[in-house]
This record gives sequence, C-alpha cells and structure tokens, in this order.
Amino acid sequence: MTKDKIVLSVLLVLFALILFSLSAFPLQEIFPGSTAEHIIKSAVEETASLNLVTAILYDYRAFDSLGESTVIFSAVSAIVLILSFKQLPVSSKGLSFIVKRTFALLTPFIFLFGLYIITHGHLSPGGGFQGGVILGSISIIFCIIYGSAFDYEKYSPQTKTLLETGGALLFVFMGLLGLFTGGYFLRNVNPLFGELGSIISAGSIPFINIGIGFKVGAGLAIIFYSMIQKTYREE
Amino acid sequence: MLYHIVFLLLFMLGLHTVLIKKSLIKIVIGLNLMEAAVFFWVIAVNYRGGIIPILTVSNEIKDVVNPLPQALILTGIVIGASTTAFLLTLVIEINKYAKIIDLDLLKGLRD
Repeated sequence: MTKDKIVLSVLLVLFALILFSLSAFPLQEIFPGSTAEHIIKSAVEETASLNLVTAILYDYRAFDSLGESTVIFSAVSAIVLILSFKQLPVSSKGLSFIVKRTFALLTPFIFLFGLYIITHGHLSPGGGFQGGVILGSISIIFCIIYGSAFDYEKYSPQTKTLLETGGALLFVFMGLLGLFTGGYFLRNVNPLFGELGSIISAGSIPFINIGIGFKVGAGLAIIFYSMIQKTYREE
Repeated sequence: MLYHIVFLLLFMLGLHTVLIKKSLIKIVIGLNLMEAAVFFWVIAVNYRGGIIPILTVSNEIKDVVNPLPQALILTGIVIGASTTAFLLTLVIEINKYAKIIDLDLLKGLRD
C-alpha cells in the first residue's frame, strides 16, 4: 500500500466523520439579544455608518482591524527583509505600444474607482481593504505592462513605504484622537457629524478607511515588487 | 447539507494537496484551498436569507443577513493573503539557494 492510498483512505474516513458531525449543524438564526441583533438594530444610530460590515470593522472592532493591518505590515517587513532591495530592477521592456497607450488611458479611471471604493466605504459595499487592493493593482499592472524599471522610476519602493507607513500612522492618529477627545482608544469621534448617508458622516470611519486603503495598496505593491525583481531578472 | 459537503470536499482537496504533492508551490495552493473552504463554510452556515447588510436612509430594512461573519471573514482573507505572500517569499528564497522546490529533493540537502 503506497503512501498516496493511505492518505486518501484516512482523508475519506475523516470526511465521513466530519460530515456526520456537521449534519446536526443548523443554519444560524439571529437570536433576540445577540450581538448580531444589537448591531443590526442600533449600529446606524451608534456609528452613523450605513454599511454594517464597515461599522463592525472600524468602530466595534477597530482595535482588531489595527492588529490586522499590523499583520500586513509585519508580512511586508519580513518580505522586504528577506528579498532585500539591493538589486536594481532589470526587467523586460514591457508589452506592445497599443497595450501601453490603452492602459495609460485607463489608469485614471481605475484610480478613481479605487478612491471611490475607499471613500464610500461607510455607504456602499467596499472599504479600505478592497479599494486598497484596487489601488495596489495599478502598480502591479504598471510592472507588467511598462516593465518594472519604469515602475521603479515613477513609484519607487521608498514612495510606497512612505505611503504604507503614512496609512498606518493615520489609523493610529485617529485612535489617539478618540483618546484625547475624552473617550477611549479608537473611539468614533462625533459619529453624528454631517448628514446620515452623505459622504461626510460616520465620524472617523472614512479617515480610517483612507489610511487602511493606502496602507494595503502600498503593501501589496511592495510585496509584488519585491517578488518580481529577482524572478524576472534579464541581463 | 449541500454546503457541508462542498466545504468538506474543498477542505479535503486542500489537505490532500498539502499531504501528497511534492512541489512547494502546490502546497501553498493547497493551504489556500483549505482557507477558502473555511471561509465559504462560515459564510454559508450563517446565511439565513435577507438583503446585504447595508441599510438605506429612507426605509430602514431590518431583514438583513448577519454582518458579523462577513467582517470576521474579511479579517481572515487579509491574514490569509499575508501568510500566502510570506510563504511564497520563503519558496523564492529556497529556490534561490537550492535551485529546487521539490520537497523530497530538499530533504537530502540537510547537511
């Protein structure tokens, strides 16, 4: 009996056992008095954010989101440390002229879309993480279409590191602002400022969204840049 | 019941990939499959009917899905992306020094 067959049979037994134990697992209802019910009922009054997921992420569990962005920060730091920036990028000259011009026309719209997703995080689907990934994808497509040397000239890793650190500092600054205005760390400062449902509402949530967005976008761009500069090395 | 089966199929596929495959890249892919399975399962189990958890100003609809699992899975996705990037970095470094990403061949390089 080979190793493959042993593993396969063990997995099949495990499959049957877990399926048997899960079959008694009902669909979850929202019980009266539960956290979910409280959030659905009173999140709009408490945080002035129409998007409940954003309200949870940046108000009820904002400290958790800060730790989450610290995870990205430490991952980026470790990746930059392992794949150091010492080698200058020597990459391909990019794709053809048509692709380059088309993407040059498209870039402002992609950037605008990313900014829209970030700044409307408390009103519509999306938020800092999702919009930040869209912003980071611009730099990644730059690397592919124009070649990483162009990306290095226009948006150097130093600029990206600055953006990432700035985003993290904006988050911490909003947290300290809540502390200094007579509350606790990451308190939502004056959530009913502005009209409910307009873009200037929800207190400090939009600012935290902007900080997270730039942090995640720059972090992803740094990760991609660090990885390709050694794998696509053409002398 | 269907979502339990799909979750378990995806999860076992990922576990099988991690245990059987030799290439380090495929092992990272298997870990990602297991992650995706758990995310899918948590979202599917907590779904109970209703609209997306974004309320409107004019008419306050209270029949929305549970927003808590969505927020938790958002956290999980970010952590998963970070760990995947870090694992791939380690694979790049291993490939740079040893020129192989095969697990069996790497075992012979211990000394």
